[in-house]
Amino acid sequence: MTAVAARRDSQSGRGGQSGRSGRPDRGQRLLWYLVAGAVISAVFVIPLAWEVFRSFQPESAVSAPLTGQSFSHLTPANYRALLSGQDDIIRNVVNSLITAVLTAVLTAVVATLAGYGFGLFRFRGAGVVFGIVLLAFMVPFQAVVTPLFIELHFLHLLNSLVGLALFYTTFSLPIGVYVMRNSFLQVPTELIDAARVDGASVMMTLGRVLRPLVMPGIATTALYAFLFSWTELLGALSFMTNDSLFTLPVALSNVETGTYGSVNYGLLLAGAVIAMIPCVIVYVALQRFYVRGLVSGALKG
Amino acid sequence: MSTLTQARDSARRTRFGLAWVRRGPAGARRGPARTAEARRTTRAGLALVSPALLFAGVFTLFPLGFGIYISLTNWPLIGPYHFIGLSNYTALIHNSVFLQSIVFTLEYTAIVTIPIFVVGYALAVFVRSNRPGTSVFRTLIFIPYIVGLVTESYMAVVELQPGSGTANFVLSKLGIVSNSTAWLVHTGLATVAICVLVVWFASGLTMMLLMAGMQAIPTELYESAKTDGASWWMAERRITLPLLRRSIALSLIVSVVGSFLAFNQFFILTDGGPGTSTESVVMSIYSTAFAQFNVGLASAMSVVLVIVVGLITFVQFRYLQGDSA
Repeated sequence: MTAVAARRDSQSGRGGQSGRSGRPDRGQRLLWYLVAGAVISAVFVIPLAWEVFRSFQPESAVSAPLTGQSFSHLTPANYRALLSGQDDIIRNVVNSLITAVLTAVLTAVVATLAGYGFGLFRFRGAGVVFGIVLLAFMVPFQAVVTPLFIELHFLHLLNSLVGLALFYTTFSLPIGVYVMRNSFLQVPTELIDAARVDGASVMMTLGRVLRPLVMPGIATTALYAFLFSWTELLGALSFMTNDSLFTLPVALSNVETGTYGSVNYGLLLAGAVIAMIPCVIVYVALQRFYVRGLVSGALKG
Repeated sequence: MSTLTQARDSARRTRFGLAWVRRGPAGARRGPARTAEARRTTRAGLALVSPALLFAGVFTLFPLGFGIYISLTNWPLIGPYHFIGLSNYTALIHNSVFLQSIVFTLEYTAIVTIPIFVVGYALAVFVRSNRPGTSVFRTLIFIPYIVGLVTESYMAVVELQPGSGTANFVLSKLGIVSNSTAWLVHTGLATVAICVLVVWFASGLTMMLLMAGMQAIPTELYESAKTDGASWWMAERRITLPLLRRSIALSLIVSVVGSFLAFNQFFILTDGGPGTSTESVVMSIYSTAFAQFNVGLASAMSVVLVIVVGLITFVQFRYLQGDSA
C-alpha cells in the first residue's frame, strides 16, 4: 500500500505540470492520438502502397537507381506483359482462385459440421474423438509434406488442384473447428430445445434455426481458409510439378528465377501486386468477421 | 487490494474456467427414454464430426505414421526401397547441413521473437481502447499479415537489390549503408533484412491476440486501481500482465513455432545462401526430399521437426501457464 501511496504522490506531481498550463483538453489529446495512429499505420501500409506504385514503373526504371525521373513515366506495361503472351499468369491466377474457393467451401462445411457436433452434442467418445482431432491439429503441415507427397501420388492427387485443396482444407480445419465450436457454444440452449420440441431433425435444426446465428463464424472460417490457400507456397511447390497447374505464388517463384539468367523485376512486382489485391479486398470487406472470430477462436481454444 | 485480487480471480474463472462446456439437447437427461435418446445423440454427434476426423486421419495422422515408417527405410522418390533401421537418424547426427539449419533456425527464432512481442504489445496498448480512429488503425496495421509473407518476400527481393532497391536508396540517404549494399548475398545482412521484414509482417498478429486478451479484462479493475492512485505503468504491471498470461503464452507459441517452421522468406529471398548458411530446417527437409530425392532422410528430419516443435509448444505452455493452469 505504501508503494501505491508513493506512486500517487509522484503522479500528482506529474499531473501538476500540465495542470499549471491548463489540462490538455480532450480534443487536443485526440488529435495527438490520431496523428500517432496515422504515423504507425503508415509504417505498415506505405511499403505496400509503394510497391503498387513501383509496379507501374517501366522495368528499366525498376532496376535502375531511383532518381527524380523514376517517377515521371508510369505505365501498365508490366501488367500487360504479365497478362498476355504465351507465359501469361492468368492461368495461375485462375488455379489459385479455384483452389482457394474450393478450400474455403470445404473448410466451412466440414468445420461447421464438426463445430456443431463438438459444441452441442454430448456423446460417449466425444472426448476421445476431440483428443484425436486436437492431436492431429498439433502437427505442423511442414512436417508431413514429404510423406504426403508419396501418399498423394498413390491417391492420384499429385498435380491436382483438388488434391491441393484437400491439403489446404486439412490444415485450415484446426482454426475452423475452434471458431465453429465456439459459435455453437454461444447459441442459447432454449432455441435448440424449442427446435427439438417442434420435431426438427438434427440437420433441419442446423439449416433453419442455427445457420443465421453461426453465420459470422462460417464467414471467419471460410475467409481464413481462402487466405491460407491463396498465400501458401511450400505445399503448392511440392505437390505441383506441371507448369499449367502452378498456383500464383509458385508461378512468381519462376518469374523470380528469371529466364536466361536475367530477372524482370518489373514483372515480379506486378505479379506480387496481383497476388496482394484479392487479400486486401476480401479482408477489408469482411474484416468485422475475420479478426473477432479468429481471436475468439484462438483464445478460447 | 483484496477486492482487486478477488475481482481478478473471478475474471480469470469466467474467462477461462468454463472454456468447454458441452451442452447437449439430450444425453444428460435421466429417464426411461435415456438410452435410446443417448444412442441417437451419439450417432448424430459422431456423424457430424466424422468428416473432420477423416481429414485429420487421412491427411495428418496417416502421413505422420507413414513418415515414421519411411524414415526407417532408404526410400528414394521412385523405385524400390528396403529397411535400414535407424541409419537415417544416425546419419542426421553427422549431417552438418541439417545441424547447421537447426542452429540457424533457432538463432533466427531467438532474434525475431522478442521484437515481434514488444512491437505487438505496444501496438496492442495503442489500439485496445475504443477511441475514434482505433478500428481503422487496427485494420491497417494488420494488413501486412493478411497479404502474407510470400508476396511480401517477392516485393522485398526487388527492393533489396543493390543499386536499384528502395531499401538502399532510403538507408544511403540516411547515411547508414552505401547504395551498393548487396543484402541478399551476405549471411548477416540477409538475416537482418529478413528479420526486419518478419517483425513488420508478424507483429500485427501478436497485436490482435494481445488486444483481445486486454479487452477481456474488466475495466472496473483499472478504475479501482485509478482511485487507489496507481500509475499507468503500475496498473499495466499489476493488472494487465498477470491477467494476460494466457494471451501472452498463446502469442509467443504462435510466433516461436511460426519462426521455427520458417520457409517462404528464406526460400524466396536467399534460397538458403550463400552456401547453406541461411537454410532453415523446413528448407533443408524440402531440398533433401525434392532436390536430392532422399525421402527416407527427409522423413527422419521431419520426425525430428515434429518432436522439436512439440517440445517448444509444451515447454512454453507449461512455463507461461504456470500457476493459472
